Amino acid sequence: MARVPLSYVLNRLITLVLTIFIAATLIWIIPRLSPVDPAEIMLGRMAAGAGSVADSEAILAQLRANFGLDDPMIVQYLKYLWNTLTLDFGLSTATFPTPVSTLIAQALPWTLGLMILSLIVTFLIGNLLGALMVWEESPNLVKVAIPAAMVFTSIPPILSGLLLMYVFAAKLQWFPLTGAYGLTVEPGWNWEFAVSVLHHGFLPALSIVIVTFGFWALGMRGLMITVQGEDYVTLAKAKGLKPRYILYKYMIRNAILPQITAFALKIGLLVAGQVLVERIFAYNGMGKLLYDAILDQDFPVIQGVSYVIILMTALSVFLVDLIYPLIDPRIRHEGA
Amino acid sequence: MADLSLTRAERRAQRRIRRFDNPWLNPKLFWGAGLLLGIIVLGILGRVFWDPEMVFVGSGIPKLPPPGFENLRGQGGTFAHPLGTEGSGRDMLALIIIGAPNSLYVGLLASLIGMSIGIFLGFTSGFVGGRTDDVIRVLSDVMITIPPLLILVVFQSAFGDVTLTMMALLIAGFVWQSPTRLIRAQVLSMKQSGYVQMARLSGASTGHIMFREMLPNLVPYLFGSFIANVTTSIVTAVGLEVLGLGPQRIPTLGRTIYEAINAGALIQNLWWWWGIPTLLLAIMFIGLLLINLGLDEVSNPRLRKLKV
Amino acid sequence: MNALTIKDLSIDFPTTKGVVHAVTDLSLSVAKGRRVGFIGESGSGKTTTALAVMQMLAEPGKVVAGSITLGGTDVLALDDEAMRQARLSRVSYIPQGAMNSLNPIMRIENQLWDGITAHEGATDLETLKQRSNTALESVGLPARVGRLYPHELSGGMKQRVCIALGVILTPDLIIADEPTSALDVVTQRHVMQTLKDVQDRIGAGLILIGHDMGLMAQSVDELAVLKNGELVEHGDVRQIIEAPNHPYTRELISSVPLVGGASFLDDEVGAPPINRGKPGVPLLEFRGVSKSYGAVTALQPMSFRLDGEVPKIISIVGQSGSGKSTMGSLMLGFNPPSTGQVLFEGQDISRMNAVEGLEFRKQVQAVFQDPYACFNPFYRVNHALKFPFKQFGYAQSDAHVQEKMEEACRAVGLDPSLVLGRYPHQLSGGQRQRLIVARALMLSPKLLIADEPVSMVDASLRATILKNIYDLKDRYGISILYITHDLATAYHVSDYVIVLYQGHVAEAGPPAEVIGNPRHEYTQLLIDSIPWPDIDRPWGTPSTAAEDAERLDRMAQNNKTEFRGKIPGFELDIG
Repeated sequence: MARVPLSYVLNRLITLVLTIFIAATLIWIIPRLSPVDPAEIMLGRMAAGAGSVADSEAILAQLRANFGLDDPMIVQYLKYLWNTLTLDFGLSTATFPTPVSTLIAQALPWTLGLMILSLIVTFLIGNLLGALMVWEESPNLVKVAIPAAMVFTSIPPILSGLLLMYVFAAKLQWFPLTGAYGLTVEPGWNWEFAVSVLHHGFLPALSIVIVTFGFWALGMRGLMITVQGEDYVTLAKAKGLKPRYILYKYMIRNAILPQITAFALKIGLLVAGQVLVERIFAYNGMGKLLYDAILDQDFPVIQGVSYVIILMTALSVFLVDLIYPLIDPRIRHEGA
Repeated sequence: MADLSLTRAERRAQRRIRRFDNPWLNPKLFWGAGLLLGIIVLGILGRVFWDPEMVFVGSGIPKLPPPGFENLRGQGGTFAHPLGTEGSGRDMLALIIIGAPNSLYVGLLASLIGMSIGIFLGFTSGFVGGRTDDVIRVLSDVMITIPPLLILVVFQSAFGDVTLTMMALLIAGFVWQSPTRLIRAQVLSMKQSGYVQMARLSGASTGHIMFREMLPNLVPYLFGSFIANVTTSIVTAVGLEVLGLGPQRIPTLGRTIYEAINAGALIQNLWWWWGIPTLLLAIMFIGLLLINLGLDEVSNPRLRKLKV
Repeated sequence: MNALTIKDLSIDFPTTKGVVHAVTDLSLSVAKGRRVGFIGESGSGKTTTALAVMQMLAEPGKVVAGSITLGGTDVLALDDEAMRQARLSRVSYIPQGAMNSLNPIMRIENQLWDGITAHEGATDLETLKQRSNTALESVGLPARVGRLYPHELSGGMKQRVCIALGVILTPDLIIADEPTSALDVVTQRHVMQTLKDVQDRIGAGLILIGHDMGLMAQSVDELAVLKNGELVEHGDVRQIIEAPNHPYTRELISSVPLVGGASFLDDEVGAPPINRGKPGVPLLEFRGVSKSYGAVTALQPMSFRLDGEVPKIISIVGQSGSGKSTMGSLMLGFNPPSTGQVLFEGQDISRMNAVEGLEFRKQVQAVFQDPYACFNPFYRVNHALKFPFKQFGYAQSDAHVQEKMEEACRAVGLDPSLVLGRYPHQLSGGQRQRLIVARALMLSPKLLIADEPVSMVDASLRATILKNIYDLKDRYGISILYITHDLATAYHVSDYVIVLYQGHVAEAGPPAEVIGNPRHEYTQLLIDSIPWPDIDRPWGTPSTAAEDAERLDRMAQNNKTEFRGKIPGFELDIG
């Protein structure tokens, strides 16, 4: 909406730029603080792994360029900043000379798909259940069952992933053990492929959902208790509104606002959790790419993946912050 | 004991009321603390009654199940290895005796350091205000969106092996933001409160206001934030270990899971190899969750009323 | 035809510590078109009764006996759905917390519409719009208010929206629960006039819940006095005000301070006040002090000198936003002035070193508005008294501190064994505020800033606490700056009165002049707006509301100050 104050947008924009800048800088500085020369070590490992390395000079040069060994530091740093801005992370050393950006472009859609799906589902289910825990009119079953289910939700997604994988993939074999789609199907816009993708994506998504909905449910419960005591809810009841209408329009709509802020703050942690889930399920996303890169000591890929995930996180936070004033009219005026 | 005339039900009701009056006597807090304490006790007693050296040398037959089970090769478990052995014949019991307290140690240390930074920055931000406040606020806003795991992945890939303490220090660099924000917000609101103004009128020093007037009222929040940070720290540490990073030579639960997955323990039905560390981590997290729920009830009396 | 008939109503709250009888055997009826006031202190059962009519008692409250009949329907026999239908369409409720009673994220018109559609089913937008506009206009708000969100409205406007909502379905009965308690007197008068006007027009019965006898006298036809859940007196308002039967009713009437009426202070002349000032040096001085927050000017430049050789009470009177609390915080050194200097005994308080600063703190103390916030919940109440006493070096031994605390408690009429050693939440607001006065007494400063000291305690205790504060001047020689919105109490306690309007001095002088015979338009408006327990006094009509708003706007434009005479030992100047 046009009424969102400019200072608010500007403020968020500064945070976004700073986040990206600091993340990029950290990724650049850290390897430089290392007492060992990562370029040499990597080349050594590659040579040891493959027997001999074709084009070793080119790789060494590219590694050196990546770590800024030829130019003065500051020039290297500025070059690096410019490169990351244009999403150019150099060439992968493991699959030389594939550009890192190409690898990321292949993996990203999978991660994004899984992320958007699981984050949104979790957020909706968690908040709804949290709200129902407090609502006077909910059936008693709900009030008993949800706190019991909450025990699952203290576990990080990797552990739930392992358990689900063991029970539903290894033991019962209802779902495939690994991968994002079946080996026999042809990727493309066809029915078979879509089914395969859903079939493969179900367990990774579920393992994120069952362990994170509780976080939202608990937060929502606390907020709903506060909102329940607000005068406007009392007045809504005195107005003779229908209980469900009050629940949705008066209670949830208000209680959810801080949850949306929390959503922005938690995106980073949730995405990191998802990276691990992808690694367990060998799902063709950023997590697997990252994991393979760690195994291969493929440093440009590690840097690129980390950077892109942080960029994604920062952008999501920015988007959430931008949407926020549209649902909370008070922000539009305060401007901060 | 003067209440002998009361029926048992009445006494129970009275106890419930007393418990209601003192929020710290909360069953969730007890259970949560008990679970964590159990892990620490396991670490201590284990070192006394079991041989923790078995963690470093593969002393048994590899992939041996706990007694009463059989692995795919038809080998039965023995009481020499009550929880079985992992892929290179190391004893699982010794592994968790050493590994489980290690995870807790990383979590507690990282969170403790993070809290200290958070308390310092939060108070500074709330009291000094102005430019200092702006810088701290923006910095914590920025840092809160960066997932620690990814920066640490970059770090450990570049540095290779690290010690547990080093890993805790690194994680601490990412868990100060939420206590900073929390304390800053509370300090700002408490600064306006009547009792802080009264203390200023009483000629109290800034130190007195911070530590004697404000800090005691922050305790439930600080505890809550501390526990939440322990959880985050352990999740991050385990995440690094499961990616094969983290300490290479020190046994940790995460690293055991990493090795189990890599060796295909899931398909080979070697459930004890990954299952036991997972279970221990789950117990740890459930303990932390219970403590957090309990603390929630301490600091938010309305939650308590809900259940009476 | 009665809008409401209550027969032998009893309401209990079973708690872990036994059953609380909130309302006992209450019988009463409200005729259509009549206004009935429910008056009593907090805990008297007035709100509980009203909520029982709405079937909205908080858990675990229960109607244990009696009947409630709403225009022929037995309310207690209705099921949830039927009761829901009855709310708003047959009985509407105007809540106390005007500030938070509207959903902050919904436009005003939507909050009017959903009430209509919940009872009449889906209605087309055109009709809804027309009806909400009519409702808003009936309470004197322009139709465009419907498009706004609650945070864009002032407190008075929000309360009028609640009134519009209460009459939109023309119910038989309106229950207004302290509808003006959060508003200042000018707004209070407007809102009450609006309420009476729309209620008259739709001919509904009205229950007005409150604790202010003055407001009741000027608003209702019948009065029901409640105490501890029992109806102690009920009848025509004139008869009750003029010839109250029950001693409690008499107490309620006499607790309203009147301008020019009998003083609530004892007239006995005490010992001559102690001289504690430094000769020749004013105790407190403002030199061209002003304060602005960004573009907003909270206080226009002003200067004054308070000698303090003979202790005085100076009252600073104004509504919210007048700058009176800003003055208080400037004097305490909590806020630096934007221009000018604040001097204490000749020294600029912003330039004091640590030693001088401590001396300043010793000599200047305060009593704040909110007695609930003034105690750190972590400590026993003793902490608030003991800590400054030790800090300022008065304490000789623990026994000495204890003795002083007990002495101070007794001096303000508290039993030390009942209050000392308790936690703040175990004491009532009145007890806490008296403890704060006791604290001031223990420290015996030269100057005390009392910022709205009684606005948050029950009416019956206000006189007592003001008397405690007044005694500080007489017996202990403490000069007092009394910051308040209440002209009637200022009239009685002060030696000099300053009336502030939007950070500017409107009128100043001795109370008999300024309040007893006001000359400035603003002071006049304030005094006219105070409700008195006097039925024959005119209290304006709905049309005065619009005029008043215009007058206020005009006054904001012109910065005229009426000086009404001087007193020795205090000088005031503008600029």
